[in-house]
Amino acid sequence: MAVADTPLQVAEQPAADQDDAVPGGRRWHGKLGIWLPGGAIALIVAACFLGPALFGLPRPVGGSVLESYLPAGSPGHLLGTDPNGNDILSRLLHGGRASLFIAFTVNVIGLVLGGTLGAVSGYVGGVVDTVIMRILDVLIAFPSLVLTLAVAQALGPSIRNTIFALAFFSIPAVARVARSAVLRLRGQPFMAAAELSGTSAWRMLFKHLAPNIAPQLITFGMLGMGIVIIIEGALSFLGLGIPAPAPSWGNMVADGQLSLSATPMLVVWPSLALLVTVLSFNLLGENLRSRWSGR
Amino acid sequence: MTTATLPRVPGNRGPRVSPLRRVTGSPALRLVVKRLLMAIPIMLGVTVLTFWVLSLIPGNAAQQLLGAEATPEDIALLEERLGLNESGVSRYLSWLGNAVTGDLGNSLVSGQPVSDVLGERLPVTGELVFLAFFVSLILAVPVALIAAHKPNGVLDRVSMMVSTLGLSVANYVLALLLVLVFAVTLGWLPAIGYVPLSEGLWANLEPMILPSAAIGLPLFCFYARFLRGDLVDQMQQEEYVTTARAKGIGSWQVLLRHAFRNSSFGLITVVGLNLGALIGGTVIVEQIFALPGVGQMLLQAINTRDFVVVQAAVVIFALVAVLANLFVDLMYAVLDPRIRYGSS
Repeated sequence: MAVADTPLQVAEQPAADQDDAVPGGRRWHGKLGIWLPGGAIALIVAACFLGPALFGLPRPVGGSVLESYLPAGSPGHLLGTDPNGNDILSRLLHGGRASLFIAFTVNVIGLVLGGTLGAVSGYVGGVVDTVIMRILDVLIAFPSLVLTLAVAQALGPSIRNTIFALAFFSIPAVARVARSAVLRLRGQPFMAAAELSGTSAWRMLFKHLAPNIAPQLITFGMLGMGIVIIIEGALSFLGLGIPAPAPSWGNMVADGQLSLSATPMLVVWPSLALLVTVLSFNLLGENLRSRWSGR
Repeated sequence: MTTATLPRVPGNRGPRVSPLRRVTGSPALRLVVKRLLMAIPIMLGVTVLTFWVLSLIPGNAAQQLLGAEATPEDIALLEERLGLNESGVSRYLSWLGNAVTGDLGNSLVSGQPVSDVLGERLPVTGELVFLAFFVSLILAVPVALIAAHKPNGVLDRVSMMVSTLGLSVANYVLALLLVLVFAVTLGWLPAIGYVPLSEGLWANLEPMILPSAAIGLPLFCFYARFLRGDLVDQMQQEEYVTTARAKGIGSWQVLLRHAFRNSSFGLITVVGLNLGALIGGTVIVEQIFALPGVGQMLLQAINTRDFVVVQAAVVIFALVAVLANLFVDLMYAVLDPRIRYGSS
């Protein structure tokens, strides 16, 4: 991560002065603000993808009703079991796998497609820019959760369909960020130099613009991870995301809601998992941004 | 502007223009008209997109209404009666023709006019959104001012940390935690339900507190962070702040009367942009708290394939988003003299 901040500092010289204007700004946004949430994310990812095998946890589905509602700390079930007798910790980690996988895929698709669209729009300008931006205006005015619900309902709840629906709506926001980043770079001397030496448009986009807007897009992607995890949870909460009985943080919260007063921990565990994960991504994105933009 | 070329008349304060010209030539008005004209293709795009997506969904209201045991003849008959057998394009055009005159069609399931259904549902969602906005703004402004008064001070850091936390909570999680604490454990507030305003103000407000808090708290965190960031920028980078300080004006005065006035523009923008997203977020909160609003109507309509109602709900949501953006532009024109007189 530390490697990636060099290109933008070259591109945004004045940003450094702004950062110095904030007394103590560097101390708080220093390395700790990036390593702490970054480490937390690494830990969560490792726990979700390696944890179940490493600790020999029971399967997240197909538990026995005889073992239902076991309290936390029961032998073999660190966080207890749910009404169906499934191990809560195992469901949490497997649910996290799905959430993280979906959020990551959605963001990669959104960043690549949205980033390309926005960069082309900003670089080419003119009619192309106007047409692309007007289409994106329509998508932005559209209540995305509504359409995502309709798409999920139409294609049936599954991980693949959830990814399609969410990726579609992450494109306009990324495209706008990429476009404004490109517009700011257009006046830079290195752009003029490259253009004067006869560089082709594609080479301009991928060799000169892409590395310069990448840090901004990746930062935006970190915030996007949090957003997608929350929206995916909402879909699963409404029964339109990851189909039961497979676990996801969203459908665990929804299931726990049914017995909220009797067994509140069924809601608290997946809620905490959601909160900590989203908070880590938000902090990382926020701190990377203040580091790169000096705010 | 075009009027600038007219000869000046001595004794007059400005170029002589006809009253009509004065109205149509107003930059603020032109901005509004331009924005209104831009809103039309956006709304058309949204309705076309909805129609297209809904047409992709397998199964229609006729099949859903008659159940799995219906014969193909029965389904075909009902499809014809509901107008579902026509092509998508002709259905869209006839829908659009009616919608322009304010007729959004009848629900395929209940047969009720959609505008009547919306008349019952909109006030509930409207109240929810208004309360959430009101509470979040009332809280966010003082918190941001206090935080920005001493950037990186103790109060600033604590409030910014708390607001980062608040921004990371999903509204459905927050809703359930609020229910768990205030309804289940403490028993102070009802967990679900809606009481119309006609049965008393408090009876109406009491069940709205938790749902509007579930929407308003993350919003409050967002506004507080945004306004604080903008205020700090103004205080540290703008020359008018230096001037005001040099005149010996106290730091609170500079913050309130100078920086805040400028930062309010940014705040208005994000409030306007937020409104669209916020309305979409009411869907899930209405579901949790069993509020009979537009969001709940939409979920039911999606499940029963009642596309006439879905279409109407999407149009309402998009219209609110577009109007909110228009309102932002208007506020700019009202508040900023540079836009009001078109000299930017």
